[in-house]
Amino acid sequence: MTDTVVIGAGLAGLSAAIRLAEAGQKVTLLSFGLGGIQLGQGTIDVLGYRGADTLVERPFDEFAAWATEHPDHPYSLLGADVVRDSVDWLAARLPDLLVPGDGRNHPLPTAVGAMRPTYLVQPSMVWPDPTSVAVVGPAQIKDFYPHLVAANLAVTAQVEATGYRIDLPARAGEAESSPVVYAKALEDPDVLARFAEAVLDQIGDEDAVVLPAILGLHQCVQPQLAALLKRPVVEALLPPPSIPGMRINEALTAQAKAAGVRVILGSKVTGFESDGSRVTAVTLHQAGRDQSYPASHVVFAPGGFESAALVMDSYGTITEPVFDLPLAGLDRDDLITGDYWADQAIFAVGTRVDQSCRPLTGDGEVVYENLHTVGGLLAGAIRWTEKSGDGIAVASALRAADAILSPTGTWSPPASPTDQPPAPEVVQTLQEDAEDDADPATTPSPPEEDENV
Amino acid sequence: MFDAASQEHATLARASLDQCLKCTICETQCPVMAVTPLFPGPKFVGPQAERYRHGDSVDHSLDYCSSCGTCTLVCPQGVKIAELNSVARAAMKKDHMPVRDQIISRTTLMGKAMHPVAPVANWALRLAPVRWIMEKVIGIHRKAAMPVASTQTFSSWLKHHTSSTQPTRGKVVFFHGCAGEYFEVETSIKTVELLEHLGFQVVTPKQGCCGLALQSNGLFDAARTYVRDLSAQLDIEPGTPIIGSAASCVGMLKHEAREIMGVDDPALIEVGARVRDASEFLLDLAERGELPLDFTPVPLTVAYHAPCQLKGQGMGKPALDLLRLIPGLTVVDAEATCCGIAGTYGFKKEKYDIGQAVGKPLFDAVLEVNPHLAVCDTETCRWQIAAATGAQVVHPVWLLHKAYGLS
Repeated sequence: MTDTVVIGAGLAGLSAAIRLAEAGQKVTLLSFGLGGIQLGQGTIDVLGYRGADTLVERPFDEFAAWATEHPDHPYSLLGADVVRDSVDWLAARLPDLLVPGDGRNHPLPTAVGAMRPTYLVQPSMVWPDPTSVAVVGPAQIKDFYPHLVAANLAVTAQVEATGYRIDLPARAGEAESSPVVYAKALEDPDVLARFAEAVLDQIGDEDAVVLPAILGLHQCVQPQLAALLKRPVVEALLPPPSIPGMRINEALTAQAKAAGVRVILGSKVTGFESDGSRVTAVTLHQAGRDQSYPASHVVFAPGGFESAALVMDSYGTITEPVFDLPLAGLDRDDLITGDYWADQAIFAVGTRVDQSCRPLTGDGEVVYENLHTVGGLLAGAIRWTEKSGDGIAVASALRAADAILSPTGTWSPPASPTDQPPAPEVVQTLQEDAEDDADPATTPSPPEEDENV
Repeated sequence: MFDAASQEHATLARASLDQCLKCTICETQCPVMAVTPLFPGPKFVGPQAERYRHGDSVDHSLDYCSSCGTCTLVCPQGVKIAELNSVARAAMKKDHMPVRDQIISRTTLMGKAMHPVAPVANWALRLAPVRWIMEKVIGIHRKAAMPVASTQTFSSWLKHHTSSTQPTRGKVVFFHGCAGEYFEVETSIKTVELLEHLGFQVVTPKQGCCGLALQSNGLFDAARTYVRDLSAQLDIEPGTPIIGSAASCVGMLKHEAREIMGVDDPALIEVGARVRDASEFLLDLAERGELPLDFTPVPLTVAYHAPCQLKGQGMGKPALDLLRLIPGLTVVDAEATCCGIAGTYGFKKEKYDIGQAVGKPLFDAVLEVNPHLAVCDTETCRWQIAAATGAQVVHPVWLLHKAYGLS
């Protein structure tokens, strides 16, 4: 039987599934359609803005103040150290795709020439602090207007920026190519060489070249292109489909499968079975019939409104349709305002959870002992203005996984330094003794250890 | 134009297009769009173009959709993209259906015609001049994989077959499909022997074709008749699981006939809820601890391809999990989207090259993992992979049959 059913194949679902499977659990991952990673930017946000205009430079330094201002935010529950460890865990898993974090946000050019703050970027996105840039877009790629990007970068990045168009179809007979087609074409060294020639033909002596993020799907060819152009090359973000997002999605999905995760794609979870205190199985609406998937634990990572994990009916009633979980953040009358760019409090609606990411009732009772909600469903964050969704997703997923892996099925904080015994040498000796005593018969039992400590 | 029932169904299917967020996930996974500019992609010909059709289809690029269903499978919003395209294509082809599409979609007819003269038919289909004429006259590409007719039908084998084991677990109904009657007879035989070895009493009713190939060629009226007749034939032994060895035909019964053609006969709904792909059924036994694991090791490494119409059933890849229970056997998931045959798509002269390009990553994986043997759950996909790679391609039950010492 499955130890844990994970519902959802976004960043949260895949992170939880990998962590659990690598710890030896039998994991089944259920996903209605492909996960959302490739709809993001292929970067990892932690905290980009505090309020609309306050750019965050060092996200973890802001956590203490953030928690005071936003006591119901998932980061207040998780804390700076856990979030940092979690995104570091992810970066370590994807050494070719993510530049390790150094505590500071990176500025990253978007398709409209804004500089967007994010914590982990791909190596092809590192901003080289140029004084002048050439912004180049192939005519065959829609949604990237190099002259618009250049004009805005002159303001947002304080660089001398010039826009250039090149005309190079990804394949014969195609006036407009999907970024996927273009990215795969550029993996061919001959095509890349012709691409580089077309770029060199246009640009001047700018310090760096900004291109839309289409520089190879399965293999990023940014280093080769930089060599051909003899200057740094930066991938700028595009609207979906995000090629950098696809790189991360494919890599994490492959890691999950390699760890033994059974992936079931294309059916929707529509209900569950329970003995009152625990979820005993989830119901998958498969072709022809409903199928029950029994499990000891459930990680629920379905996203939020954007993936219909939360729904609003025509009366304005908001529900979570699978487990009918209690929702927090509903008790205000300005959930949606007429100002498009305002925070829109509706996006903070979600589940309030305990330290193990288990949903709670309004009275603070755990709803089901073995049900954990993670990622976009957690209440208290407005991810798109804060730029906080990825950090919440990874950290809550790992928190839930660690809770499941603990003997009690719940997470408890590691003892703080003040709780530790005063003489570290003694502790060390005890641990060494325990390691030396490999024979279980002579290994001190945990209660004895407790007495000693 | 549609009849009243399909018009109503089309309206229902169309409702799902409002769920489309234009997120482009379907475009990134479409195997046809990836290899040819002739097909502008599932989002474009699906939910976008559908808004302008009003029952008529004028955008002929739609015909390059292979109906593999990958778009529907990956859509996170529940848009029935492939289904919309199938309905629109049927409307587009209604008044000028190619003769070829009428012939190649009638598998039973081909089987009945070829089987009595199997050696001659098989020989003729290997002759270049015959294939050249076929391409010129009816538009079946000269290099396309052709089925090999069996000299013995499954029915004639069954007539002389008696189980060597005493049933201990009750009955199952066996659904072999028309290819299992005329072309893939060995798969049908091995499935029956395997189920009997496990203690089941196998009941095999006389059965026709599910109409899947007709449906994917837009011949809805004929397809509806086929699937209704088949449902009535299989709807025996109430409550008994129906086990199929043709995974795509199982999908037709489970959901496609209803979701694409709006067939809602009670017998189809009943059969659709009871039918199981053979590997799905056996894996379910294994999950419940009811599958004997007394396997003889099978020291082999093989690539496995999960066909589109199996993936479309939303149950994962049961054969992959099942075969991994056999000691010594290493099964490598080819992780390919589609083999390129897509029912009858890859046979057609104007689509053969596209089909080969779609299948190339799969062919490469098969050749890399084991150029002699590969595993796949559906007939036409096996023919396509075998023709492109030279490997023998078998149904998963062949390996189980061997692991239980039955072959």
